[in-house]
This record gives sequence, structure tokens and C-alpha cells, in this order.
Amino acid sequence: MAIEPIVEVRELSKVYLQGETNVVALNRVSVGIQAGEFVVLMGPSGSGKSTLLHLIAGIDRPTSGQVLVRGINVANLNESALAEWRNRNVGFVFQSFNLIPVLTAAENVELPLLLTSLSSRQRREHVAAALDLVGLTERAKHLPRQLSGGQEQRVAIARALVTDPLLVVADEPTGNLDSKSATDVLTILQSLSREANKTVIMVTHDPKAAAFGSRQLHLEKGEIVA
Amino acid sequence: MTIAGFITKNALRNRRRALLSVGSVAVSLFLLVTLMTLVRELTIPPEDIGASLRLVVRNKVSLAQPLPWKQITQLDKIPGVMAVTPFTFFGGNYKDLKVTSFAQFAVDPVRFTNVFVENRSSKEQIEAWIKNKAGCLVGADTMRRYDMKIGDTLKLTGTFYPCDLELKIEGTYKGSVDDRTVFFHHKYLDELSGDLGTVGTWWVRVASAEVVPEVRKQINQTFENTSASVSAETERSFQMSFVSMWGNIKVLIESISSVVVFTLMLVTVSTMSMAIRERFRELAILKAIGFRRREIFAFILAESFGLAALGGVIGIGGAALFWGLLDVQKLSNGFLVYFEVVPRTMARAAVVAAVLGVVSAIGPSLSVAQTSVVEGLKTLD
Repeated sequence: MAIEPIVEVRELSKVYLQGETNVVALNRVSVGIQAGEFVVLMGPSGSGKSTLLHLIAGIDRPTSGQVLVRGINVANLNESALAEWRNRNVGFVFQSFNLIPVLTAAENVELPLLLTSLSSRQRREHVAAALDLVGLTERAKHLPRQLSGGQEQRVAIARALVTDPLLVVADEPTGNLDSKSATDVLTILQSLSREANKTVIMVTHDPKAAAFGSRQLHLEKGEIVA
Repeated sequence: MTIAGFITKNALRNRRRALLSVGSVAVSLFLLVTLMTLVRELTIPPEDIGASLRLVVRNKVSLAQPLPWKQITQLDKIPGVMAVTPFTFFGGNYKDLKVTSFAQFAVDPVRFTNVFVENRSSKEQIEAWIKNKAGCLVGADTMRRYDMKIGDTLKLTGTFYPCDLELKIEGTYKGSVDDRTVFFHHKYLDELSGDLGTVGTWWVRVASAEVVPEVRKQINQTFENTSASVSAETERSFQMSFVSMWGNIKVLIESISSVVVFTLMLVTVSTMSMAIRERFRELAILKAIGFRRREIFAFILAESFGLAALGGVIGIGGAALFWGLLDVQKLSNGFLVYFEVVPRTMARAAVVAAVLGVVSAIGPSLSVAQTSVVEGLKTLD
């Protein structure tokens, strides 16, 4: 019996209006992603890989088509329901880390949990577990400016994982890191996929980074070419 | 971490700016409370029960025109009139003061005590004053200000009356709307000025509030078409006619207050807009990880409201404390008797602070709400 994909993208299109010109960022893309896969989206600038990632993660709306995550059509959710869905199902890792500078590493990781019904003690336990997973227990009380770039990105990964989401989406997560830190981050993402059976979708330009994934999708001019 | 802790950390992330914002709100609200209190002190009409039962009868032509003494017999006979006293402004100068901070009025002492029933004074002092034609009753504020004592001599130099007064302080009073005034015997003034047979105004106490309109009408009709037609009005409206002289100053002060509020609004809206603009990307992250528009709005509102409220507490509380500790009468050379920051004024200023907090949150909140997560992530830090 065939396994149902956890993410199913059907005929997905995104058209931007730039001035009076329609720019097709994504053209009727269809793809399925299984649970536990580490999918890498590659392609030149403007190929639509980030757009596809944003649409799957529910932070952008498609012009047409469907994004089904565990059977739920994300595009049909209203603004409020979509925010709640993202909180429960998606963990984000961005190129520039995007930690809140006035919060400590632990507080940054705790942020998505403020929207849940967990008690303060439960939240602390979840935060400790997430920081332990990325090897930053000792840095829990440090502010982002007191951390290296690699450590900041690991805090961002802990924040992405703390709600135990279905998907972890990463947009160029190693773009601002040195090769050692980049390898550390990619190893964590890879182990999430292999050991924790998390579905990871990552955008990158870097073939070395792409090699950590279990599958690569190449996009050009808004279409999957390989 | 709690939501409140998160908001506080955000509000204080740029401590200097937060301090300057709170400071600007505090100083502006201090100024606003001061201006509102000044307007109140300049325009407050007497509101005690005694004032609502008193009528002031003046010459219909103008307040400067005197009224004949003989009118008193007719006034006494009007139904509803309980007591009548002459009330003549002397306008003397005390010692070598350029501006005397207290008014002096010639009255009939016995009738006076029946008209101004709310004044608190000892029975012995009143009796002593009634007995001594050259005696006077001095308000408690004036006694305190010039360090006067019962038995002292009070010398007043006439300005438009061709005589000077040498009065013995027989008693003091308090509990009136203005505890500064000096009252003395009208007969004494008549003697010194050559018995002109006139009075400045009549002050009348009426039996009850219900008959005030009828008594007023009767008084006006009684002296209609005589050589001295009168205009009777309630003490409150009489005082308000003086207040109307302040009209332009009131408008000026209120205009300044409006400018203060408007400027404050611009400053806080601009500060909040800058503070939020700097965090556009962070707010996009919050949206991405699941915070809804209403929660983001609540964060911005709480931060803005918190800064305005803190500024409000410092500014309004500071004004109440400052003016409460200061001797405004002395500072203003007697121009202002009281300068009390009343709860109503504080409440109005607090509403201004609250509105400020809300209004300055609206613009940034709308801006954040209208920006998608993807657009927000693209903004530079």
C-alpha cells in the first residue's frame, strides 16, 4: 500500500503583480513529500524555490492550486486559523537567524510556546529539551549578541523544534555561517529527519549543503525541472 | 517568561528613547494639568448652597453706578426675602502694597451675618464686631498671609473714596468661597465719606431655591422706572459675569492646552512608529511562528499604553504634588487664592494619556497588520 505524502502540492501557482506586469514565480507545481524526508529545494535566484517554501509553510497565499499538509488545504485557512496552524505544525529557520535581541536564548526558544496552554514549568522543560538537542544548554541565559552566528542559528533551530512541529522549513540556513558552523547546523537538520522522523524542507544555493538532504528538487523559472 | 515580561523588555529595549518618551509625556501632562487647573481657578463659580440662595442687586446701568440707601425698606418687604445687606466695594490699599490681595466691603454687620450664613466665625467675635463701628471681620487667608491678630489695627488708604480707614480687627471667618475679604461697617464708611446715602450693591438671601426666580422678578419690577432701576441676579451668575471678563484668557489657555495635547500626540505617534518600524522584521517573525494580528496589536497597544500611562502617572501625580506643596497665593502675589489640582482635572488628564496610548498604537498596528509575513521578512533591520 502506498504511503500518503505528509505534504502534497497540487498545481500550485503564484503570480506577482510588479507594476503592470504579471511575474510568474511558480507555475503549476506539483510535488509530494513523505514524513521524515529532508527535501532540498535548489535553483538559481528567482527560480521560485523560496516562494514554494513560503507557500508550503503557510506564510504566503497561492494564486491557484493547493497545499495539503496532512490533508488540510493550507490555502483555505483564514488568517487567524493559519497563524494557529503554523504555530502547531511548522518550525521556521531563517538565513539571518531572526532571534529577538532583547530575549535570552531560552526566552527566544520559549516564544512559540506562549501561544500554547502549557504551564510555565512545562514550557521550561520543553525549552531545556530543545536547547539540549542543539547542544546549547550552557548558553540558555545568553542574549543573541553574546552568541556566535552558528550558536544563534542553533537557537533558531531549537525555537523551530520546541513545539514539536510536523514540518521544519529552513530558508538558506547556512547562508550567513562559516563552514564549521554550517556543517553543525546541517547535521542537526539531517539528524532531525533521520532520527526524529521530522520532515525538513530546506532552500539552498550551496551544493555541499544540499548533499545533506535525502532528496533534491531543482527549480527553474517557477517549475520543477529535476 | 511571561507575555507581560516580553512586552516590558520590548518597551525598554532602547532605554534612552523610552525615558525620553515617558519624560515628554510627563512634562506635557504636567503642563496640561497646570493649565487646566489655572482655567478652573479663574472661572470657578461659587457652588455652595448659600450662593444658590443669594441674589446680587446692582444698578441696571452698570455696576459702577451706586444705588440709593432708601431701597432697603422696599427690599425687606418683598415676599421670599429673608435678609438684605448693603455691599459696597471700598478698594483701599494696604500698607505700601501696589496690589492689595484682598477686597474690602462695607456691609451692615447684623444683616451681613443673616445673608452669609455659611461663614464660620465665633459668636463672640461677631458680637464684638457688631458693637464696634470701626471694627472689621477679616478672612482667615488674609489673617494668615499678613500675620494679623485679633485686636490689630488695619489701615487702608482709599483710592476712589476720599477717605482712609483705620479698622480694628474684631474677628475672623472661614468657610466662604474666598476667605480673603475684609468686611466693615457701612456706617463707618458713610461717616468718613460724608454720608452719600448710597450703596454699591444689595445682597439678598432668599427663603428657598424654588422662589429665587420669583423674588428676582419682584425686585426688578419694584424698582422699574425709578431713578435707580436695578438688575437682580443670582450670586453665581453675578460671579460668572466677572468670569466672562476672563473670556479671552480662558480661550488663550485652552488653545495652548490643545496645542500641548496635539504636539504630544505627534511626538508619541512618531516615537511609537519609529519603535515599531525598527522591529518590523521581528514582528513578521512573531507572525510566522503563530502570533495573530490581534495579539501583535495587543503587544503594541500595551507597550504604547504603558509608556503613556507611566508618563501620565509621573506628570499628573507630579503636578498634584508640586502645586499641593507650593504656596500659590504667595507666589502669585495673591492673584490666585487656591491652586488645587482636583480629581476631575487629574481624571481628564488621565483620559488624555490613555487616548494618547491608544492612538499612538493604531498607526503602527495597522502597518504591521497590512504587511504580510513575507514582506515583513524582507524588510531590513
